Amino acid sequence: MALKPKLEAPAPLPPDVKRPEAPVRMYGVSKSYMPGSWALRNVSLEIGRGEFVFLTGASGAGKTTLLKLLFAAEQPTEGQILVLGRNIARLKGRAVPALRRQVGVVFQDFKLLNRRSVEENVGVSLDVLGSPRRRTRSRVFNMLRQVGLHERRAAPPRALSGGEQQRVAIARALVGEPEVLLADEPTGNLDPELSVEIIELMLAAADRGTAVIVATHDHSLLERYGKRVLRLEGGNLIDTRAGGLGAP
Amino acid sequence: MNRRLEMAALLAESSWHGLRAAGLAGGIAVATIATALFMLGAFALVVVNMEGLLDDFGRELQITAYLEEGLTEAEAEALAQGVGTVEGVEAVAYVSKAEALERFREMAGGAALLDGLEGNPLPASLSISLRPERRTPEGLVILQASLDGLPGIEELAHGQEWVEGYARLAALLRVAGYALGVVLSLAALLIVANTIRLGLFARSDEVEIFELVGASRLFVRTPFLVEGFIQGALGGAIAALLLALAFGLLVPELRYGLSFFLGNAAPRFFDFGELVRLVGGGAGLGLGGAGLALLGSRG
Ligand SMILES: Nc1ncnc2c1ncn2[C@@H]1O[C@H](COP(=O)(O)OP(=O)(O)O)[C@@H](O)[C@H]1O
Ligand SMILES: [Mg+2]
Repeated sequence: MALKPKLEAPAPLPPDVKRPEAPVRMYGVSKSYMPGSWALRNVSLEIGRGEFVFLTGASGAGKTTLLKLLFAAEQPTEGQILVLGRNIARLKGRAVPALRRQVGVVFQDFKLLNRRSVEENVGVSLDVLGSPRRRTRSRVFNMLRQVGLHERRAAPPRALSGGEQQRVAIARALVGEPEVLLADEPTGNLDPELSVEIIELMLAAADRGTAVIVATHDHSLLERYGKRVLRLEGGNLIDTRAGGLGAP
Repeated sequence: MNRRLEMAALLAESSWHGLRAAGLAGGIAVATIATALFMLGAFALVVVNMEGLLDDFGRELQITAYLEEGLTEAEAEALAQGVGTVEGVEAVAYVSKAEALERFREMAGGAALLDGLEGNPLPASLSISLRPERRTPEGLVILQASLDGLPGIEELAHGQEWVEGYARLAALLRVAGYALGVVLSLAALLIVANTIRLGLFARSDEVEIFELVGASRLFVRTPFLVEGFIQGALGGAIAALLLALAFGLLVPELRYGLSFFLGNAAPRFFDFGELVRLVGGGAGLGLGGAGLALLGSRG
């Protein structure tokens, strides 16, 4: 059994690709859940190592769909998706878990294990890697301290507030130091002060080299950080570089 | 530390969580397996005791070889020894003319019949019992053929009908035993699979989360397999306990009824090896049921 995720050799790229190392790449991706309606339409983008981007758009614009494609929870209807050199459309069997161990995800609805403690919830990310128990405990403790929940580590998730559960979910996504971090409205349940703290955590992850995509409809965050913004409108992508609103 | 060992420890821990989470559903699975194995075990007990009886019965199956008149005692003994080495023969007993007469006299009416007869008209004979595998009509024919030509043997006699009846009974019992065993095991397997599948549904949210954070199939499934195995073994142990209890309580009550069937043979309980097989069978049933539930849960 594969105890340690092995990095597969990246797929050979055409020579004209600008950033061959970009961990997230989408080319002409469309997604349709039902014939005749498109959740995503012809989306192309690249997100490099250590890059931090916001993904924004109205409800139903396709933000969650785009993120789901990136951790192989959905398959594209058209187009190519490469995450860490893996072709999502052709992933099968044990390649899916191997990918997910390198992609941290913060789900809109948290998806916490209700029968386990906070500490165990964060630990599962390391358990699936086969990490030694003692090492897991100390890494989990440090992670929980960063999100300010180390004193609640023995509590079950349902004993926590919505904002605290959100932070547990973020701790679980970050503790394995993933190469790609996907967060679906991670500040949706937090007050502004906590939102800033959470974003700072993800910025720090980007500084360490993680490619970070944060879906949000909180405009104050977009303005505050001046990062690259990917705007979805009815499934179409408008890539907005920092500062240059409206630019291609 | 060894990474495989680490993974094993993690899986064990995960399984422990699973067992605790199974709660009531797990208890129902254990009770189900225990019930199925109790029925299976009770039936098996009847079969082993019947087989013991059949064995006793079969040992009495004999071929009688009447010896030629005028054979000396020494010659007869030598012949008996020769017959003892023939394949398929379990034991040979020599019955002299005098002993035959003695036995005949003891039979009701025998003495009266012999009155007025000169000398001893009864021949000496060999009572030949058969090895278990030869206690069939065909086995009997084969053995007979190998005895027939031996010098000193005048005539062979046996209860052919008796053998046929015996063979039919033994075959019937065995077939019925296997058939019922298969049916009961299958029913138990399906019930266990279903119970474990319910547990799987109840925890499908957990399974989904494990998969989303990148758990391998092994990591997700092992706890359910371990759970099935432990529940099965537990069910088997409970069934064994209940069977012992029922045996201890019922056998003295039924002694007279049983002695009618078993004769002097004492009814026996399972030996250690058979008990181990019962518990192991339960564990296998639980493991198989869990495997079946997992197979059915997704492609
Ligand atoms: N599982 C699904 N089945 C069918 N339609 C879906 C499904 N998920 C999303 N959609 C549709 O796809 C579109 C994009 O949804 P979504 O990606 O959830 O948008 P957002 O996260 O930006 O709110 C919506 O019209 C939504 O109704
Ligand atoms: Mg959404």
